[in-house]
Amino acid sequence: MRPFEIIIPTTLDSARTAIGNRVGGAAVLAGGTDILGEIKEGTISPSALVDISRVEGLNEIQTTGEQGVSIGSLVTLAQIEASPAIQKDYPALAQAAASVATPQIRNVGTLGGNLCQRPRCWYYRSPLFNCLKKGGSTCYAVEGLNKYHSIFGGEGCHIVHPSDTAVALAALDASVETFGENGLRPVHISEFFVGPETNMLSETALGPREIVTRALLSPPAKARSIYLKAKERQAYDFALVSVAASVLVEDDTVTDARLALGGVAPVPYALPAVAEAMVGTRLGDVVPEDLGHLAVSGARPMSGNAYKIRLSSNLVARAVATLLK
Amino acid sequence: MNRVIGQSVPRRDLPGKLTGDAKYAADVQLPGMLIGKILRSPHPHAKVIAVDTSAAAELPGVHAVVTPFDVPEGNIAPDVPILDTEVRFVGDEVAAVAADDEFIARQALDLVEVEYETLPFVTDPREAIEPGAPPVHSGGNLVGGEPIILERGNVDEGFSEADVIVEDSFSTPAHSGAALEPRVAVAYWDDDELTVWKSSRGVHQDQLLLSLALGIPRERVRVIGGAMGAGYGNKDETRLSVIAAVLARRAGRPVKIEATREEEIVAGRHRHGTYTTVKMGVKSDGTVTAVHATTIMDTGAYLSSGPGVVRRAGQGALYLYRCPNVRYDGCLTYTNTPSGGSYRALGAPQGHFALELIADRAARAVGMDPVEFRLKNHVGPEGQPGERTTPASEIIDTQPLEGGIPFSSNGLRECIERGAEAFGWSDYSPTSEGSLKRGKGMAILIYRGGPGGRSIARMSFERDGSFTMISGVMDVGEGSATVLTQIAAEALGVDYDQVSETLGDSAHTPDSPITAGSTVTFSAGLAVRQAATDLRSRLLSSAAGVLDVSASDLDLDSSGVFSQSGRRLAFSELAEHIGAVEVEAAVSPGSTDYIVNSFGAHFAEVEVDTDTGAVRVLRYVAAHDSGRILNPRLAVNQVEGGVSQMLGFTLTEQMLTDPGHGATLNASFLEHKSPTILEYPDIEVIFADVVDPIGPYGAKALGEPPSVGVAPAVVNAIRDATGVEVRDLPATPDKVLNLIAELETGVVE
Repeated sequence: MRPFEIIIPTTLDSARTAIGNRVGGAAVLAGGTDILGEIKEGTISPSALVDISRVEGLNEIQTTGEQGVSIGSLVTLAQIEASPAIQKDYPALAQAAASVATPQIRNVGTLGGNLCQRPRCWYYRSPLFNCLKKGGSTCYAVEGLNKYHSIFGGEGCHIVHPSDTAVALAALDASVETFGENGLRPVHISEFFVGPETNMLSETALGPREIVTRALLSPPAKARSIYLKAKERQAYDFALVSVAASVLVEDDTVTDARLALGGVAPVPYALPAVAEAMVGTRLGDVVPEDLGHLAVSGARPMSGNAYKIRLSSNLVARAVATLLK
Repeated sequence: MNRVIGQSVPRRDLPGKLTGDAKYAADVQLPGMLIGKILRSPHPHAKVIAVDTSAAAELPGVHAVVTPFDVPEGNIAPDVPILDTEVRFVGDEVAAVAADDEFIARQALDLVEVEYETLPFVTDPREAIEPGAPPVHSGGNLVGGEPIILERGNVDEGFSEADVIVEDSFSTPAHSGAALEPRVAVAYWDDDELTVWKSSRGVHQDQLLLSLALGIPRERVRVIGGAMGAGYGNKDETRLSVIAAVLARRAGRPVKIEATREEEIVAGRHRHGTYTTVKMGVKSDGTVTAVHATTIMDTGAYLSSGPGVVRRAGQGALYLYRCPNVRYDGCLTYTNTPSGGSYRALGAPQGHFALELIADRAARAVGMDPVEFRLKNHVGPEGQPGERTTPASEIIDTQPLEGGIPFSSNGLRECIERGAEAFGWSDYSPTSEGSLKRGKGMAILIYRGGPGGRSIARMSFERDGSFTMISGVMDVGEGSATVLTQIAAEALGVDYDQVSETLGDSAHTPDSPITAGSTVTFSAGLAVRQAATDLRSRLLSSAAGVLDVSASDLDLDSSGVFSQSGRRLAFSELAEHIGAVEVEAAVSPGSTDYIVNSFGAHFAEVEVDTDTGAVRVLRYVAAHDSGRILNPRLAVNQVEGGVSQMLGFTLTEQMLTDPGHGATLNASFLEHKSPTILEYPDIEVIFADVVDPIGPYGAKALGEPPSVGVAPAVVNAIRDATGVEVRDLPATPDKVLNLIAELETGVVE
């Protein structure tokens, strides 16, 4: 651990100025549950931390009626978990927030931080391995231990995105609002996360000097949603595999559906083919197991993670069956 | 009789731990104290060619640097020098610094330049004993050059008598004890006298090891234990404190080194990973005719307590079932991985896991219920068939090989019967609701323990009429301060509150064995009882002189000495007459006639979600024969703690080594997944109604046996629920799912 400066801005503008060039320079600190671990463990050593926790206007959940809900990036996971509005209209998000780590971490961990957290890959986290994510030339998971790694879309690098809330937001058709060089901009969740084929060194589309300010959820239709998370330990564990699903049923027919898997790919892994297969189907004709199988087509497991195929398939089937019950 | 024994008196350490007043080694602050940090090897095996410390030494605030090239010559163990020019695992100690604070110390470590010549390495113990494997130490990787072979009768004959033979291979992972308190040491020199505050499980052993390593007389080393945030075994690791002492010597100031969690896991001492094959022969009526177990045990880079552990791993195969023909082959193997060592129950959980899965298979093979099979075959009070070979005058080893020796007490049958009844075993059938499958499993266990090394205790009658029990053992959190004080009070005939205790300081306590092997209550307890009994006699005879009556007319109670004629002498008055009195007693615990062992039977109900592979333990019954229970609340704590801890071993915990680079990948609480409160089931604890004739007030070993039966009971229940048997621990969802897929499709993932 090297010395670093702490800068505590109170406005978005001063935060942007302070962040400067993110790569090798300043890093953003909010709840600190991830980045402080990265610094202590020697994964990264930024020269400065910009503590945005006192930037005004980012810590509220705003219910704007017809415009939906906006969740500030400094809203804690515990607040999301406890929000009646989110519990009622976006249960998948409330469930995802509640599934994170422990109450202590949820009390300080923020939504923005949960979306921007770095991979849990043990090769990335260990200072002993200079992996692709750190500018090296090897993904050590391929020849090494990879039970927690990706079964989809690992282009050279086989991380999985660790965020629970990201998976829920993907199924809820959310957008992320960011603040950067050109002020505020909305980015659809499907474009917010980027895989290693797009950017090996980052998991998001955030530019330099850009931070997350809000998550924006469309107005609640009568969609039902759910988040299921398989883990090895009931608390304090990342997903082996998770699934978020949102389904709209009208006149006994599925009229809209969105699903995403977590723990299987470098980004929240959307399942458009499954959604397509569901839309227009009468409830009695939906076969959850078939949708589960469809969800995992094209999976490419490594030596230690083939179980994720079966697990993903089963979780998708369970999510669908539960929502349509 | 038994006014104090058998009572759940309050723990001696509780007020301090609850209020934060307890002083752990990490709480020690001394004037001028520096913080030490250790530079660790990034390579699994390498020669240290050169170490350039100039930049580190010049950093302001750095006061000492030590490398393998300037360290005093000395060894902590035969295979562990203070620092070595050869490093043998990722995380092995290379060099160390002492600085004004931790931050500077860490910066200094970054400035130490080490030139390594990397060497071939091996991480798999099965490969390590193949010809041509890279030697971790000169002399080969198989410790001792050959397996230890323990055989009673002839297994070939035994198998030839069998109608059915079952055989399979099993593995258990390395896992950390995950004590809340990591290892820590503070070293302070006053001229040539060294004082070390240490998280310790034996101050006298640490004192000896420090004196040998540093080449100074034992009398010039004082080790103080203090409060402990758990032991579980690995607090016997002493290299950390020797390095602190070397740094302190060099800096001329006290030095504290506290392991980080990562250092605690990687450079502490974990439970050895094992590969075990068990073969069992049974007749069609269920009679066991032969058992043969072979274990390859990974001791990692250093030996530590490995030789003892590998032997204990065979006790179940050799002695749990009544059988004339048994054999155990134990191979202790070096690898370039972190060092195994002592961890609660020392090999028995690994051995029992394999044995008790095979026992269930044998039962199924002959169509018997698992409980019925155990009741038919478990070793009884008479011991094993055969002839005693230990000379009649010798104390019987707690893990004998020969038959013909009875147990001092054996409540195994009672454990099985009462445990099964409490569980509702005979009425229970597996159930299935959608993907949720429930099933039951059980396992039985035998554990050596109780008699340990020669123990000395002192009892003091103080000038104010109070009493002090003085023992050199450490209370590692299990409650020995409490139980030994109970024994002292009982033997004296006074109240628990009248006796205070002094433990764990080599300068003020008599030589004692380490808190290990579930021996403290038994061995130190016998010494305390003897000392207290002797003190009682001394006081009565002294009082007889004061009162001018015959000692045989006197008795004592909590308020003092009294005669049959009604004369009373308060302890404070007696003290005014005779002053302080101290007596010392030494015992070599054990029996020349009996084996002293503890027993148990564990029962688990689990629910497996066959969609996710998740296993929940719903209900647990642990029945134990640990002789008479001296403090029921503490005893229940021990059983609950052992079961809970080993649910981690069973379901989630393991140290994972990258095969290509030798690094431990998951040395954190996040990824070395110890269970949390959410994983713990209700645990019903049953103690067999046994009073052992040898142990103090009838007690036997208790601390470790609860760890032994957990994995096989749970894994047998998973099989009952799902039909799949997890042969490789931990039973994580990936393994359960892969086995279910294999069962459904016939294809091995």
